[in-house]
Amino acid sequence: MNLDNELRNTLRRKSPAPGFAGRVLARIEEDDARSSFVSKATDHGRRWRAVAASVTLAAVLAGYASHHIAEQRRIEGEFARDQVLLAMRIAGAKVRYAQQEVRAIGTDRTEEQSSIGEVDN
Amino acid sequence: MHRVILTAILMLAIAFPAAAQRLNLDFPGLADRADEVVDVTLDAAMLKLAAKFLSGKDSDERAVRDMVNGLQGIYVRSYEFAKDGQYDRSLVDRLRSQLGSTWQPLVTVRSKKKESVNIFADMRGEMITGLVIIAAEPRSFTVVNIVGPIDIDRLAGLEGQFGIPRISEKNRD
Repeated sequence: MNLDNELRNTLRRKSPAPGFAGRVLARIEEDDARSSFVSKATDHGRRWRAVAASVTLAAVLAGYASHHIAEQRRIEGEFARDQVLLAMRIAGAKVRYAQQEVRAIGTDRTEEQSSIGEVDN
Repeated sequence: MHRVILTAILMLAIAFPAAAQRLNLDFPGLADRADEVVDVTLDAAMLKLAAKFLSGKDSDERAVRDMVNGLQGIYVRSYEFAKDGQYDRSLVDRLRSQLGSTWQPLVTVRSKKKESVNIFADMRGEMITGLVIIAAEPRSFTVVNIVGPIDIDRLAGLEGQFGIPRISEKNRD
């Protein structure tokens, strides 16, 4: 019988203490607020990481483009320099040859004919 | 008013004293017949770029850089042929006919065995503002057109530089 009474007492429906529902709801809201803050902080971090990644990528691309342009310009510049040296070498050789031929006038000119200016022998 | 116009004309004349002539150096089909072709086309922008890459430490390159400054263009066409008669000798006359009244012949070398060379200068007063060199041999034909003020003696002094021996040094050997 004692056992029956104990069981009945244990399993008897008890009303919660006053304000229990309010405390539960408050706790739930508190948890929601906390998880929302954590979620917001996580979103913020993700956004910053994305921005940092984009900036890094942009910097790498800009660096590559800048290097590529500089390299292209160097190749063009060296080509132009070689062309100038070649042109000047050809021009210089022709002028020097003409000067030497002019200087040779009056020496051994049996087969050659040379002239200065418009004089054409 | 007249003074303003006169000043403007004077300023233009000062600003463009060396507006030397660029020749038409198109010779259709000639490159196809040639064994070797040198084609150099350098306008003012390319010369400016080239000048930046000419070393200031190397005396030869420094000399070229000094000469190139102020030039508006350098154009070279040179053709080497395997046998005689591959190009029309009248090309020389056609080039000469392009030269305006300010052009004067500086040197003419005529040779049957060696190279014939014609050098013309665009003279503006005492100043040479352009140069045309036409060199013709039985198996080669070369035209050089330098647009802008040029010192012909310095140009002649360039031969022998850039690792190419001077003719006089060659002769000594």
